[in-house]
Amino acid sequence: MGRYTWDFSVITANWDPLMAGLSVTLQLTAICAVIGLVGGFVVCQMVMSRIAPLRWVAVAFIELFRCTPALVQIIWIFYCVPFFFGVFYDPFYMAILALGMNITAFNAEAYRAAIQSIPSSHYDACTALGMSPLKKTIYVILPQAVLMAIPVLLTNTIGLLQQTSLVAIVAIADLMYEGKTLATQTYRPIEIYTTVAFIYFALSVPLSQVVGLCERRLRSRLA
Amino acid sequence: MNITAALGFLWDYRLALFIGLGNTLYFTAVGLAFGLALGFLVSVVRQVGHPVLKVIATVYVEIFRGTPVLIQLFWFFFCLPALLGMELGNVFSTVLTLSLYMGAISSESFRAALKAIGSEQRDACVALGLPARVSVPYVILPQTVMRAVPTLLSNCVTLFKESALVSAVGMADLMYQGQMIADATARPIEILTATALIYFVIAFSVTRTVTFYERSYLSRMRL
Repeated sequence: MGRYTWDFSVITANWDPLMAGLSVTLQLTAICAVIGLVGGFVVCQMVMSRIAPLRWVAVAFIELFRCTPALVQIIWIFYCVPFFFGVFYDPFYMAILALGMNITAFNAEAYRAAIQSIPSSHYDACTALGMSPLKKTIYVILPQAVLMAIPVLLTNTIGLLQQTSLVAIVAIADLMYEGKTLATQTYRPIEIYTTVAFIYFALSVPLSQVVGLCERRLRSRLA
Repeated sequence: MNITAALGFLWDYRLALFIGLGNTLYFTAVGLAFGLALGFLVSVVRQVGHPVLKVIATVYVEIFRGTPVLIQLFWFFFCLPALLGMELGNVFSTVLTLSLYMGAISSESFRAALKAIGSEQRDACVALGLPARVSVPYVILPQTVMRAVPTLLSNCVTLFKESALVSAVGMADLMYQGQMIADATARPIEILTATALIYFVIAFSVTRTVTFYERSYLSRMRL
């Protein structure tokens, strides 16, 4: 050990492709995070709905996406959606579809746990005030559910950021893919993979700090 | 699509899928064994260890939780052997990555469980005059383990799902076999769906067990 000479000039020389990859990674993460935040709440409402078929569909959706590897989902959607539906979209949109549905399933569970922690007295109060179900959901349930779910939702988003690296396997030019390509081209895998890992790490750490902060805030607020 | 033909087609490739499943389970099991032991050790070190050890343990956990498993795999496959100047072997690199990853995520579960024990339990031990050699194994440890079991089991499911990534570095796990067959036969729908279902059945049954355990044991004991 120790005979290896580090040469980080390979990083500065290839800065542009790495940053282009990072931009794709961030775009994927941002778009899917938004889909997950909205879709998760919708699916969660379906799970808790009184209409049985809606509930079944939502539960099946959640369990399917939570109990299979994200890689399988991505590859399945890439290979099979074009076959089934006879459509072929840009790989970037396919990735958004796969990752978006994945995070939707995980967020739905986060929302559900949060909603279940809302005391039943709030529901009683809504009934007593004669609020319509829609008003109750939007003004009473949603704000509390989002507030209580924030730590888990953020943790899921960190997970999403890391899951986006999987799209490299289906050749979408994200950070991981650019790193892989550069490593093969330049024969400098150590510097490149270490840098790529560091970039992911540097993105995740502030987010997880925010999670910790939110948890402490929530605990002191609700205590 | 003809279901009988699809099943017949799958039946022809059952052996390949079985070998893949065997490898997946093998990697998961070895990763679990080492990962859980490491995770417990790390959580104890972070609780009561020497300050320097605490910092090392924290950095280790943060790095492995803050970077994608895919980049970890690539790092241990391509960078570590180059840094050490020796061959490590595919299986060793795979198992090493999965164990280190599992160690990082399970240490957090152990830590949360340790924290969740109410201070009145410790007070009661003091009031009863129990020395640490009695209170730790008979009061603290059983509660920690009972409480950590659900999250640890979902960590196991996570590891099982993440193990699909080893296909990206050419390890012949279930995902790899599925993709190989799909590429060779140009019939991705049947084989990828079957692969996804195999993952689903295993992960889903473990998840159900967790829910059952939480409902029946933990709630009864008011843990």
